[in-house]
Amino acid sequence: MEKKINIRKLTSTMQMPTHMEINGNQEVIVDGCSGVLEYDTEAVRIKTGKLIVRFTGRGLVIKCLTADSLVVTGFLTGIEFLV
Amino acid sequence: MISLHLTRWLLGYARFSVVGGSNERFLNNCARAGIYLWDIAAGKEGGACVAVKNYRALRPCARKANAKLKVRERHGFPFATKGIRRRRGILAGAVLFMVIVHLLSLHVWSIEVKGNTSIPTEQIEAELVRLGVTPGALKSSVQPQLLQQKLMLKFPQIGWLSVNTRGCSAEVHLEEKVDRPLIVGDKHETICNIKAARTGQILSMDVYTGTAQVSKGDAVVEGQLLISCVVEDNLGYSTLRHAAGKIIAETSRTLSTEVDLKRSEVKPTGKTLTRRCLFLFGARVPLTFAGKPQGNYRTEGAHTDLKLMNSVLPLGFYEEKWTEERTENITLTKEQALAEARKQMEQKKKEELKDAKIISASEDAKFTDSRLIYTIKAKCEENIAQESEILIK
Repeated sequence: MEKKINIRKLTSTMQMPTHMEINGNQEVIVDGCSGVLEYDTEAVRIKTGKLIVRFTGRGLVIKCLTADSLVVTGFLTGIEFLV
Repeated sequence: MISLHLTRWLLGYARFSVVGGSNERFLNNCARAGIYLWDIAAGKEGGACVAVKNYRALRPCARKANAKLKVRERHGFPFATKGIRRRRGILAGAVLFMVIVHLLSLHVWSIEVKGNTSIPTEQIEAELVRLGVTPGALKSSVQPQLLQQKLMLKFPQIGWLSVNTRGCSAEVHLEEKVDRPLIVGDKHETICNIKAARTGQILSMDVYTGTAQVSKGDAVVEGQLLISCVVEDNLGYSTLRHAAGKIIAETSRTLSTEVDLKRSEVKPTGKTLTRRCLFLFGARVPLTFAGKPQGNYRTEGAHTDLKLMNSVLPLGFYEEKWTEERTENITLTKEQALAEARKQMEQKKKEELKDAKIISASEDAKFTDSRLIYTIKAKCEENIAQESEILIK
């Protein structure tokens, strides 16, 4: 019987580590993001590989979103890393 | 950033809202489907912007997230031109406009000459016209190298010249030659005597170089040797020098002028005609429909070129003023003739006796049938020293 290969699992192990660039407290550029879990003007929670990152602040907006990156702008007050 | 906004505007984009379902799930679905979203708004009816071509691809993503999409705004070129796209006349006009602009850009529409000081611009422009560079000539027919050579041959006073085509303008930049300054040493190396320029009596003598042949109080005639170039030193050797000196003598000068008593004068009648025309891309468009008037007219014309950002536009304005004149025969009275003769004489004195000091003068006026002969006899003090070069082989 032919063995089924889980491509998602394979690619996740090959994935590059997440790269985050924070410009002051106004903008965060995240490369290696695999999905948006929560999106509000006061909190943005995203999935990055094995970690979950939560940005908190005021007037948060996802400026642009692609398959593996996003840009969050607004007045950032905190960043949390949730395992 | 501007280029990004411009690209989005040119391609067209829509702002939509996500109604119901999960906003986050919808966003993740879009990201996985490779749909690029921007300006994503949060909240229950959150939305985003998407390029027009990707809007249809959003529907499966929304269906998976149990949400519905609602278009809020449409922006960009496809939407701005939606109303006029079906109007073929406008489309044809736009195409025609582009074609005309392209065709016009293949020609030279203005010629600018820069850097000339002594050579009149009109002369250079006339030569350029002769060489085929006129408003309306094809840019491909302008050969800068050949033009440079021909213009420099035509105007030898040009030291450097360059012909450039910039847009629809042909620019001629030139530098004129600077004459070699006169070397003072050359003049003093020549051997010359000093002779009398006029007949008179010597009042004072200043001999700088040479041997004086006359003395103060002597009467001399025109052409007489005053200072000799031969100088003898203490040992008896003779050398030839460039004689120099200042010989002030009292001379007698006679100046005469004639004034016609009967003359014809041209006077304007007051009747004028103005003709205007427009120069557009080398073509002359008359703005006044009056033809050339018959009769005795004097013409004055003024050409005005329009300029934009220091560049001459292929648009000019020409105004021609025709003034009617008539010829009248007038006879001057004796007083009028004498006044005019005195005026002419003052001018003549300034020209001929500019270096002389007039000690005394007497005037004489003789009237004939048709003219006045006005003469003055003046006693002057002037420098009569005149260099006379000796050519020695």
